[in-house]
Parts: sequence; C-alpha cells; structure tokens
Amino acid sequence: MQVDLQQNYFELFGLPVDFQIDEDLMHDNHQKLQSAFHPDRFVNGTDQEKRLAVQKAAWINEAYEILKDPVKRARYMLEVGGLHLNDDHETTGDTAFLMEQIELREEMDQCRSCSDPMRCCDHITNKLDQRSKEYSADFEAFYQQGYMEDARQVSKKMQFVQRILEQIDEYQLELEDDIN
Amino acid sequence: MALLQISEPGQTTAPHQRNYAAGIDLGTTNSLVAIKRSGQVETLPDEHGNHLLPSVVHYAEEDILVGHTAHELQAADPLNTLSSVKRIMGRGIEDLSSLGNALPFDFKASADSHVPRIKTRQKHVSAIEVSAEILKTLAHRAEQTLGDELSGVVITVPAYFDDAQRQATRDAARLAGLNVYRLLNEPTAAAVAYGLDQNSDGVIAIYDLGGGTFDISILRLNKGVFEVLATGGNSSLGGDDMDHAIGEWIMQQAGLGDIDSILLRQILIASRKAKEELTHDSQAHIEIDHEQLKVSLILERATFDELIADLVKKTLMSCRRVLRDAKLDKKDITNVVMVGGSTRVPLVIEKVGEFFGCKPLTDLDPDRVVAIGAALQADVLAGNKPEQDMLLLDVLPLSLCIETMGGLSEKIIARNTPIPVARAQEFTTFKDGQTAMAIHVVQGERELVSDCRSLAHFELRGIPPMTAGAARIKVTYQVDADGLMSVTAEEESSGVKADITIKPSYGLTDNEIETMLRDSMSHAKEDIDARMLAEQKVEAKRVIEAVDSALSQDGHDLLNEDEYAQIVSARNQLEEMIEKSTTEELKKAIKDLENSSEEYVARRMNESVQKVLSGKNIDQVDV
Repeated sequence: MQVDLQQNYFELFGLPVDFQIDEDLMHDNHQKLQSAFHPDRFVNGTDQEKRLAVQKAAWINEAYEILKDPVKRARYMLEVGGLHLNDDHETTGDTAFLMEQIELREEMDQCRSCSDPMRCCDHITNKLDQRSKEYSADFEAFYQQGYMEDARQVSKKMQFVQRILEQIDEYQLELEDDIN
Repeated sequence: MALLQISEPGQTTAPHQRNYAAGIDLGTTNSLVAIKRSGQVETLPDEHGNHLLPSVVHYAEEDILVGHTAHELQAADPLNTLSSVKRIMGRGIEDLSSLGNALPFDFKASADSHVPRIKTRQKHVSAIEVSAEILKTLAHRAEQTLGDELSGVVITVPAYFDDAQRQATRDAARLAGLNVYRLLNEPTAAAVAYGLDQNSDGVIAIYDLGGGTFDISILRLNKGVFEVLATGGNSSLGGDDMDHAIGEWIMQQAGLGDIDSILLRQILIASRKAKEELTHDSQAHIEIDHEQLKVSLILERATFDELIADLVKKTLMSCRRVLRDAKLDKKDITNVVMVGGSTRVPLVIEKVGEFFGCKPLTDLDPDRVVAIGAALQADVLAGNKPEQDMLLLDVLPLSLCIETMGGLSEKIIARNTPIPVARAQEFTTFKDGQTAMAIHVVQGERELVSDCRSLAHFELRGIPPMTAGAARIKVTYQVDADGLMSVTAEEESSGVKADITIKPSYGLTDNEIETMLRDSMSHAKEDIDARMLAEQKVEAKRVIEAVDSALSQDGHDLLNEDEYAQIVSARNQLEEMIEKSTTEELKKAIKDLENSSEEYVARRMNESVQKVLSGKNIDQVDV
C-alpha cells in the first residue's frame, strides 16, 4: 500500500525528531492512532477497507516498535537524517571499545563457572547500563550538533551493548529455571 | 458506508440496525456461548439449565450428538466419542505421538493433507469438523435465545496458539457457517470481563490454566484500551495432564501396565472426579469397577500436590519468562486474574499467589469469564455500542521465521510484536533466468527449523527471468489482528507480482474445506452456489455505496479528472453487472473497482492519519 513517504515515524506519532522521547505521549498517540485504524474498527467494512486497515495498523505498529526501542530509534534517526545504514557491513573502528567488549564477553563466560553467577550477571548488567546511559547522551549530543558520522559510530556501540544485555538476560533466565 | 470508514472509535456507520453478536469460548473440555442483551452479559444455558457444553461429540449410527449426551456415551463408546480435540487442532499426525495416550482415538493420516483424521463409525473426521459441530450447537443456542440470526461471533483461542491452530479454528467456524468478527485471545477476553467490571487501570497478569492449554499474559489497561505487553505459555499443558498424573498413580497403585482404551477412559474419568473433589476436600475416594481392574483408593491432597508440583512449576517458569519479555518486575503487577477451570486447584492458587506476591482475583467464575469477555467484544465489534471506545491490542505469541541454509531459522518477526504487523524482506535469484523460488515459514523460538512449528511452504512463480542476482524480490509477511499470517511477493525492478502457492503444513487445503462445505450444505439442502452469489452481490453493493460516499466527500479534492472518471467508470460497470453476473464475474468486477480506487483510498487514509493527532475531532474529518 502507498504510505505517505513525506511523513516519518516521529511525525506520524506527533513527536519531534529527538532522541529524548515523551513516552506517555507516544503511548497515548499510539492508542489514538490504533483507535482510528485498527481492523476492529472495520469489521463491517468492505474487504478492501479491511485489507487497508490491516496494512495501516501494521505500519503504525512498525513505527511504534522503532520509537519504543532506544537503539532502533537512534538508528532510525540517522536514516531520517539522510544516512544509509547497512547493518551487515558496519563495524566500529574504536579499538578501546572493542577491547572492552571482549573483556565483557570473557567476564560473562566466567560467570558460568563462578560460585554466584547471579551476582556476577548483575555486576555486568550494572556496568552495561552505565555504558548505555553514556552512549545515549553521546548520541544525542552528536546528533543535535549534526555530527552524523560520530552519531552513527555511537549507535553501533549502543547496539553492541544491547546485544550483550540480551544475552545476559537469556542466561539469567536459564539460571532461574534451573534453580526453580 | 464510507470508503474509508473513519469514525469516532466504536461508532458504527449503520447505528439504527441492531446486530446480534455472540462470544464463544471453544474450550478443550467445555465450551460456552455468551451474549449481551439489554446491557447485561450472560452465558446461555441449554434447555436443562447447563451453561457448560462439554466439548464432546459422539458419532452415532446416523446422528451426531454434541455435549452432555455425547459425554455420557464416552465411557461406553470411547472410539466414536471425541473429546479434547482442541489439543489436535492445527496439529500434524506426527505431533500426536507427543500427546502420548492422552487421546485414545483411532488416528489416520488423510490422503491430501497433513490433517489427521479420526476414525469413527460414520466417517473419518478431522478436529476441525468436530469443532464445527460444537460451534454449530452453541450458535444455535444463541439464535434460539435471541430469536434472530447472529451477524457475527467472536471466538476465543489460547494466546499461545500458533498460526496453524488459529487457522484451524477459523476453518471450523467457516464450516459451521459463522461469520467470525475476530479470534480473541482467551486471556485478553478475561481481562475485558474483569477490566470493565472493575474499571481499574494498571498492569495485570492473566493466568489461564485450562483443560489442555496454559497461557500467561501481561496487559496494560488504560482508558478502555487493553494493550497486551507480552504473552507466553504452553499449548499442551493443562488440567488433562493433572488427570493423567492421577491416572498414572492409580495404575501404579494397581500394578497395571498396558491397558485398553475403554479402561483408560474409565481411569481418567475417575481421576478427574478425584481432582475435582480435592478442590474442596483434603482427600478423594477413587472407585473403579472394571473386569480388569477393581480398585478402591484414597488420594490425599498432599499426594495430589506432589503429583502436580512439576506441572505447576512449569507454569511459573512461563510466568517469569513473560515478565522478562514485558520488561517488567513482579512488583509492577497490580492484579493477577485467574482463568480456566484448573485454577480452582488449591495448589495452583497458592503457588501463583506466592509467585506474584498478591492474592489472585477469582471473583468471576473462571469457567465463564472468557465467554463473557468475548461477548462484550463481539457486541462492540457488531457496532452496537457507539459510546464504547474499548480497543484490544494484541501481540504475536510466537516468533515468525523462515528457513535458511542448513535448516536454521531466521527470525522475521519477533514474538510479542504488536499485531497487525508486516515485515518485508528482499531476496534475489542465484541462477540466470530463475523464475521460481520457495520459502518455508515456521513459527517458534528455536534455532533449528526442525524444532519449530512448520506453518507453510510458499512457492513463488512468475518471477521475470533476469541474470543471477539482478532480480529484487520483496517478500512481505503480514500478520493480521487475528494472528493469522499471509505472504505476498513482488519483483521490485519490474513491479511484477509473483504468484504464490501455499502449502499449509498442518491446515486443510482450500479444496478440502470446499468439499466439507459442500457436504454439509447438501445435507442442509442449501445451495452453496446460490449462497456465494448472494454474498458477492451484498459485497458489490457495499463497495459501490462506499465509493459513492467517499467520492461525494472528497473525490474532487483528492483526485484529478482522469482518476475520478476511471473510478466512476469501474463503479458503473460493477453496478450494471450486479443482477446479471456469475459469482466469478462479480468477484472480478469488485476487484477491478478496488484496484482502480486503491490509490485514492490510500490518499484518504494518509489524509486522515494527519488529522487524528492534530486535535481535530475525527468526525469532522470524515462522516
């Protein structure tokens, strides 16, 4: 279906293109948009209306998914800013960052053999949360000043951190299932 | 009706006509129907005052019996009395072994699809046909009460049902001749029933342990909007397993090994009775009088608790996972709602309360709460409640993946993504002149395709021949509000739409459904062709009305003269054909009109999106 390409996801949700997002307003507007376009509003409509409602509601949800997630939001902002991203072929050239990543992964592996893996995981999680905050602040600053390439580099790091956090989460869940 | 029916939430375009709608809880053990009348929602009883209809169908020499009468014949004639078929909805013949001896039927693979058939004295029936019988009985009950036909129904399914299981449920409704407004997730239905009664905003957990399935869902309630944050569970775990645990205990006590299906059925019936006694007593007496087995046993509550401890623990593991998925902590949960007959078991209430650290809500009858919620939603969808702005936003219960090299699964849409959702993916050809390709879609969280549920094989044909790697084939996977998937494909450089043939892994093929429909129709002495033509005529009139109304509002604003004339011509063409065409011709004419107005409709949608948030009242935008 034709989507209004002039309109980006921020505009769709009535939000400024900004990394800091008014979450309450985002949730409210998501509900407002779905209240108007959700297929449930068209159950007595024609087949075409039903089909289009599904597509429209899907598009609204897609926007919602991207705006909700800080890493996806950052990457999307770069695209809005005119960068073409290719997730498969992007790496970071920041050696210090890479070293830290390797260390964190090693620490995580050691968790599996240490006496209190839960606490060990919490420790790494705290470290990563801290990093996350720093990178978000960096991203925002770079983006606002128009240093898009720097912003892209930071967004890549945000992605790395998020991935490790997800892995720790999975591991902790396994641990909890074992205990119970 | 407007081409783009944008109205104030809940408002209907035809407010004067009362539409009768029902909510149906199609359960593993029992099923129910509820309707809303004069502001009251009620489940409907049969002529003997029973609200619950046992989900049991008996195939007698000539008749088909449903419910209590069928249930009574279960012990005497287990092979022709089918129960718990919900557990095999959307399942393949190879899945049945994993259900163990839970279902003592005579299964047979069918010739043309993977849908298992159960041998009865009348015919080989699929779970879909058995479910259709149950649906028909309930719909009939509602129509008798209302004295009018149902315009549509909402049927509930476990949130954890995959695409194949949902499709099977839809097919059953189609066979029963019902118009399905929506497949609604059982926990969401329960939340609706509770949420509206208590009018409480917050984050709630719905713990739903039924006969054969377990669901746990986390929902955020906000001003009439029910937003599912995450859902999880186990589609083959439930009260039946408690019966089996007791059954095994009985066999162990009696020193029994292999037994026939009649005795097994008797043991299971005794087991269920014991389980029910233990909800209020501290011990249950089990008596079995059979030529192979005469026993009189006492089952203590404590022993029972031990037998089901693992089962309850499994459900709590799912609870923990779903909280993670929702990125929430136990303390964020303001209320826990208990649904499903198996939540009457004291150990379940105790452990769930312990886990969430609050007393679970059990105010509403756990057997009826789902049907009540479904009826409320059905009433809103039928358009009977203009002031009602209730909206249910659901999520995809299991990740949607495709098979890649080496039998690995690649996630296309992650679980707990809000639906409807659409994701596109680009492929290219790897051989010169390649015109076809195949995609295998599966559902699940595991890395190996063989560990996930196979949904369908899609074969794309008609890709324009190009050199290897030149074609850009965009494949779009879409999941609708019912959680049902569809796939479209297009070669982007040429704009050629690929033909897609779908081979559902565990569903009925369109041909099979057609045959079943024809069979049931000829039985009812109705002509299916006449019915289909009548349906197309109604649809044609509806489309024309929609186009007229839209054009009169903003046709000249949004279209140039050529575009306008093109739509009008297609519209007139269709109108001319209504009274003198075949079903197929009408279908094509409707399609033509839809195609020529596609761009116009899209423009109208885009116009209105802008206005939804700009503070203007929506009915100023479009009436």
